[in-house]
Amino acid sequence: MALTGRTALLAALGALVVGLLLPSAAGIWLVTGAVLLAVAVDLVLAAPVRDLRFGRGGTTTVRLGEPATVELTVTNPSGRPLRALLRDAWAPSAWRPGTAGTASRHALTVPGGERRRAVTVLTPSRRGDHHAHRVTVRSFGPLGLAARQGSHLVPWTVRALPPFASRKHLPSRLARLRELDGRTSVLTRGQGTEFDSLREYLPGDDVRSIDWRASARRNTVAVRTWRPERDRHILVVLDTGRTSAGRVGDAPRLDAALDAALLLTALATRAGDRVDLLAHDLHKRAAVAGCSAHEVLPAFTNAMAGLEPALHETDLRALVSTALKMAPQRSLIVLLTGLDAAPVEDGLRPLLPLLTKRHEVVLASVADPRLDVLAAGRGTVEAVYGAAAAEQTRADRRATADRLTRHGVTVLDAPPAQIAPVLADAYLALKAAGRL
Amino acid sequence: MTDTVLAPPSGTGTPSTAPTSLAPTPRGLWRRARWYLAFLVALLIGAVAVTALGQDHSYPPLDPRSYDRDGAHAVVALLERQGVTAEFTADPTGSPAGPDTLVLPEPDLLSPTQLRAVAAARHRRLVLIAPGPAALTALAPGIRLSDEDGGLPYASVHSTPADCPVIEAARAGSAQLGGMLYTSGSRGEGCYPRGHGYSLVSTPGAGGDVIVLGTGAFLHNEQLPKDGDASLALGLLGSQPRLTWHLPDYSAPLPDGVRARKTFGDYIPNGWHWAYYQLVVAAVLAALWRGRRLGPVVSEDLPVVVRASETTEGRARLYRRAKARGRAAEALRRAAGHRLAPALGVPLQAGVPDPDALCAAAAARLPDRPVGDVRALLYGPPPTDDTALLRLADDLDTLERQVRNP
Repeated sequence: MALTGRTALLAALGALVVGLLLPSAAGIWLVTGAVLLAVAVDLVLAAPVRDLRFGRGGTTTVRLGEPATVELTVTNPSGRPLRALLRDAWAPSAWRPGTAGTASRHALTVPGGERRRAVTVLTPSRRGDHHAHRVTVRSFGPLGLAARQGSHLVPWTVRALPPFASRKHLPSRLARLRELDGRTSVLTRGQGTEFDSLREYLPGDDVRSIDWRASARRNTVAVRTWRPERDRHILVVLDTGRTSAGRVGDAPRLDAALDAALLLTALATRAGDRVDLLAHDLHKRAAVAGCSAHEVLPAFTNAMAGLEPALHETDLRALVSTALKMAPQRSLIVLLTGLDAAPVEDGLRPLLPLLTKRHEVVLASVADPRLDVLAAGRGTVEAVYGAAAAEQTRADRRATADRLTRHGVTVLDAPPAQIAPVLADAYLALKAAGRL
Repeated sequence: MTDTVLAPPSGTGTPSTAPTSLAPTPRGLWRRARWYLAFLVALLIGAVAVTALGQDHSYPPLDPRSYDRDGAHAVVALLERQGVTAEFTADPTGSPAGPDTLVLPEPDLLSPTQLRAVAAARHRRLVLIAPGPAALTALAPGIRLSDEDGGLPYASVHSTPADCPVIEAARAGSAQLGGMLYTSGSRGEGCYPRGHGYSLVSTPGAGGDVIVLGTGAFLHNEQLPKDGDASLALGLLGSQPRLTWHLPDYSAPLPDGVRARKTFGDYIPNGWHWAYYQLVVAAVLAALWRGRRLGPVVSEDLPVVVRASETTEGRARLYRRAKARGRAAEALRRAAGHRLAPALGVPLQAGVPDPDALCAAAAARLPDRPVGDVRALLYGPPPTDDTALLRLADDLDTLERQVRNP
């Protein structure tokens, strides 16, 4: 049960009655008794909360930062009308900051035997699954003095998908892809290694691409055209271990890595390649394989929604063996991990030959822009020591990257805002060079 | 997470018919409350048992029946062993006069009528402990609280030399005295001087003599063995064959005149006191209204957040604490060399440019800087103090700027 302000006001007005008419203990008992009697009557007449029936509906998936509407249907099976204040409780990160108090509350009137709908608007600010907590109903009596209160558990889950902020880079990369593909009119010898067709020689064509055998059969000079390979296999491997938890700017490294993986996936799917996903730290966290072109991006965002950085050191041996199992034929393996010296030197380097023997390997790492700020520090002793430490860290990363490059790995090291386009460009460059 | 594509959570959107209420059932309530109830019952039983078993009397300080630290049973027992008849009375006016000693531990609690009756009873010896002005006027005329120069007539209790001709005090020597301080008056004799007053004053009274004590602390069970306390106590209280000890009634209303100031409540008409209580009831109801929340607080499972640059900043602090100027300078120089090499067209070998080639190229680009100067800057000895390190960082910046814009 719950009281309202009216009860307190009534009791306060009762002080006038006590002071003017009945200045005694009996007066207080009388007035308070009358107030409590009214409260009891109100409680008895209020619609019962326990018998209410609830149903849910509405959005189940939403892109991070966009609003999601969840409907709550309240059925009042009792004969009495329900005048209620209802709270649809969700975790704080499901609301737009600062609106949790107002957005979760609904004032409802449901006549006896009828049903009404309350619409809750959520704006998740964190990636992942958001679960509904309890629905609390405060059912007021006809006098408005007191209310019955009770809670119901009406489950619902809204999944906040990664925002894919880097999709703004997609049109420019798709234009580059079309250039490669020869679908735009590029008169030079088509890039790529896959034989496409023969066509008549035009001035300006590379003489090296003239197919003499075909020219002999025809009366004109024929040139071979090439196009980029299609139907290549790409495996995106996300390291969700300790290094992915580091916060760069406002978000953990993992969020930037997810963004880069999504841009690469969108681009590669358009280019006709098959993309699979593996997220791994101590154990396999998520894996998506064998999706058709139009369902791969939704499947990826869905799988990525629940990924959280784990505070373990990644088991690189298990990661590599799982990746090899998922890539039986020659593939492009994109490792989104850190460039810290210790795990790479001790964990990854001994295993690299296994990967590079059959596969093309790209290692992409999210750099920290704060290092540049630190490295530019001058003027005070503290700032100069900070600059020295930042230069040392950068030199270590550079040395690690150099060693990996010597193993035939393409190493990318870019700040969070650039990692997605840089990875997309690296993919296009590999495709143009026919190295997939 | 599974291998398959994760299906979005499914929902029907229609009102379910299954009950979803979280209201506790009577059985659940009982299960939740039973341990609290058991605890409460055990507590009650324990409390009743303790009150029933332990006949625990607690006496006020200076009570002759009390064995506590601040009781006075020891001194009475000593006196009885010496043949003094001790009796305790709640009414000091009722005891017959004669060769006796009357002890008043709280003379201020007596009404003016009682004070007059005591004064008229002509006791051979009257011992007043920390009397106020009213008691002094009635029982020990001529003696006042020693507050002449505006200071407090009070001193802390500790060992004080007797320093006076009163026989009992002179025999006892120093004792634990202090407390209220009094003037000795024209006929009295002051002992145990503290500041400008005395904590023991002996003055002739109506029937015999009156002893005014600033404190009764030396009569406490705990204090009796110290200094000359026992000697002083026996001397003061054991001079007569009979001892009457007044047991003050602390619960009695204060004598008139003590409570002169009126409070705010005294000005409110009588009936409105009840209205005030009714307002208290209203306040309680308002508190219940505001205190009831609409469902519990929902907590967030917060992720662990570590700043990625934390290790670098930690390394900077370590450099500074260890005064690792050599390492810091080495890092700055290597970074500068790494940036200069591509600008000057010097190839990198294993990530590091050749020192001679780099210095020669830099000197060639900048005619006003000799090779030795550039070499000392890029490959010189480590700086000896922080100022030199600061200067080195600035010089490296200058060199880079000059190489880029000669």
